[in-house]
Amino acid sequence: MQAYELDSPERLRNHLARERLLYQPQADGQGALRWQRLDDPAQPFVVPAEPPVFSAKAFFFAEREALFRYENGRFIALVPEARPQVLFGLAACDLTAVAYQDRFFAVDPHYQARRAATLLVGLDCAHSCRHGFCAMMDSGPEVRAQTADLILCPLAQRWLLLVASERGAEVLAGLALQPAPADWAQQRDAQALQVAVEQGEQEEIALGCAALNGETVDSQAWEALGLRCLGCSGCTSVCPTCSCFAPLQQPSAGGVVQERVWDSCLYQGFQQEASGHNPGATPGQRVQRFWYHKFGEDFRQRFGRDGCVGCGRCDAVCPGGIGVHQVMKRIGEP
Amino acid sequence: MIDLTPRPLRLLEFYEDGEAARHFSFAVEPLAGEPAAQPGQFFMLAVPGVGEAAFTYVSPPDAEGRFSALIRRTGTLTAALFALAPGAVLGYRGPFGRGWPAAGPGERLLLVAGGCGLAPLAGVIDSAAGELQLIYAARNRAYQVLARERARWHERHALVETLDQGDDGRPQGHPLEALARVLDEDGLPAKVLCCGPEPLMLAVARGCIDHGLPASRIWLSLERRMHCGVGLCGHCYIGSSYACVDGPSYRYDEYLRLLAASGQAAATALPPQPC
Ligand code: FES
Repeated sequence: MQAYELDSPERLRNHLARERLLYQPQADGQGALRWQRLDDPAQPFVVPAEPPVFSAKAFFFAEREALFRYENGRFIALVPEARPQVLFGLAACDLTAVAYQDRFFAVDPHYQARRAATLLVGLDCAHSCRHGFCAMMDSGPEVRAQTADLILCPLAQRWLLLVASERGAEVLAGLALQPAPADWAQQRDAQALQVAVEQGEQEEIALGCAALNGETVDSQAWEALGLRCLGCSGCTSVCPTCSCFAPLQQPSAGGVVQERVWDSCLYQGFQQEASGHNPGATPGQRVQRFWYHKFGEDFRQRFGRDGCVGCGRCDAVCPGGIGVHQVMKRIGEP
Repeated sequence: MIDLTPRPLRLLEFYEDGEAARHFSFAVEPLAGEPAAQPGQFFMLAVPGVGEAAFTYVSPPDAEGRFSALIRRTGTLTAALFALAPGAVLGYRGPFGRGWPAAGPGERLLLVAGGCGLAPLAGVIDSAAGELQLIYAARNRAYQVLARERARWHERHALVETLDQGDDGRPQGHPLEALARVLDEDGLPAKVLCCGPEPLMLAVARGCIDHGLPASRIWLSLERRMHCGVGLCGHCYIGSSYACVDGPSYRYDEYLRLLAASGQAAATALPPQPC
């Protein structure tokens, strides 16, 4: 990987923002970080201590979007108009999730139109966030090279800029940069190791995962967890790999527009059929489903890795106290 | 890339074919190079202003794109469909999913259907070259579907019909007894293909296994709520599989493996309404 030294992330950011819409995590004024459009180049880039409330998935898999319009006996495809954009400061976990969804939505024209127009600038974490366990989920702490175009690494005295794709190299044209010192890789590795140490052993995740795949968790344990599920869809909304959607028909001038909106497998009606048959009728079944999708061995085989990237957002958002750490702890208990 | 936009489909005609069920003829503009629909596959039918739902073919699209489907009025989409007159424009996407396995040369098939579950098997019966037996279970005579097809099939194949409530109000045969009799008298078929309410299918599968038929020779067609038909929306899951792309036809041993790996038990309760 080509490596440069960088005096400030803002210099790179403002260079990239010249020809693209640029988004970065910014405080929303209510105590949370959200992905927001940069409209003032004087705005500093603040390294997030905690992940933004929502991951970057909505940039590609829109929370709500039109698929087609029906008008006068014709169906007209509505493929999004994608504008060049850059996501600046994506953590390793979120980039792994983007790579996971790239694969899942490989043939979805709506997702891919936006994805093709997007440059990804990763940001190594210098410290662990509160709930994160990316080191264990093989998605961090340092950004995986094949998941980004450019990677920023904050070291004690300086910033490193790593070129991770051809596109990443191209967009640097016109930006004067000095090569990084020879030992940059060692410094970066040492920092990543430190973050992994901060995250600790994460034994409950390992035990929970083993129990889930060892088929040793009985349905009563799941139903006990299900009692605490409010069916609020908080976890599925903030989860960077959740991808379920539902159709929605909307009347429009002279016709109907078929939209799709984020859905949640925790909703009672998710699998309800017209006949009344519901294979996921109980909350416990649905909670189990969610975690099986994240940690099940069959899914790992199918999609090349676990569906969980260890960002810990479900821990932060679940009002019932059944985020990943609590669930894994309970099902992993002997 | 996949296309999530339907193609226009014309409702040509329909006739009543079982209680609250209609046999529809549709026509869709054929596409060059389009794969032919196989028995057991399905399509997504769009009713503009209402939505899309999955249905199986009774007869697959011919060279002119004409095909037929048996549809029972169950929810809002089918209610809207039943209010339409011939000539109405609908939408079509498909064919989707994995259909039934083909019968090998000289193989004898045993088909077991319950209620509307006869529809996905119609293509197998109509295209059968070899020997085929059929057990058809329905709640009562009014609920039986595909009357014209059954009349035709009776002439060529061994067809046993059972009714939970016969014309005199008493049961007329029983699908599991009929199954046991066929297996006892004629021996094990090469394959059993089964489609109906899930508890019936599971009981049939168990009955076959009790008679010594390996699970790998039993196939079930699983119904799940489907929205996209292309493995993306997530609704139709069965364990780690998606019924719209990995099914709806599942080999019974594979189905059991999927359920066990995902920690789910097979459905045993009957649905509140017959299929
Ligand atoms: S119907 Fe959408 S995933 Fe199967």
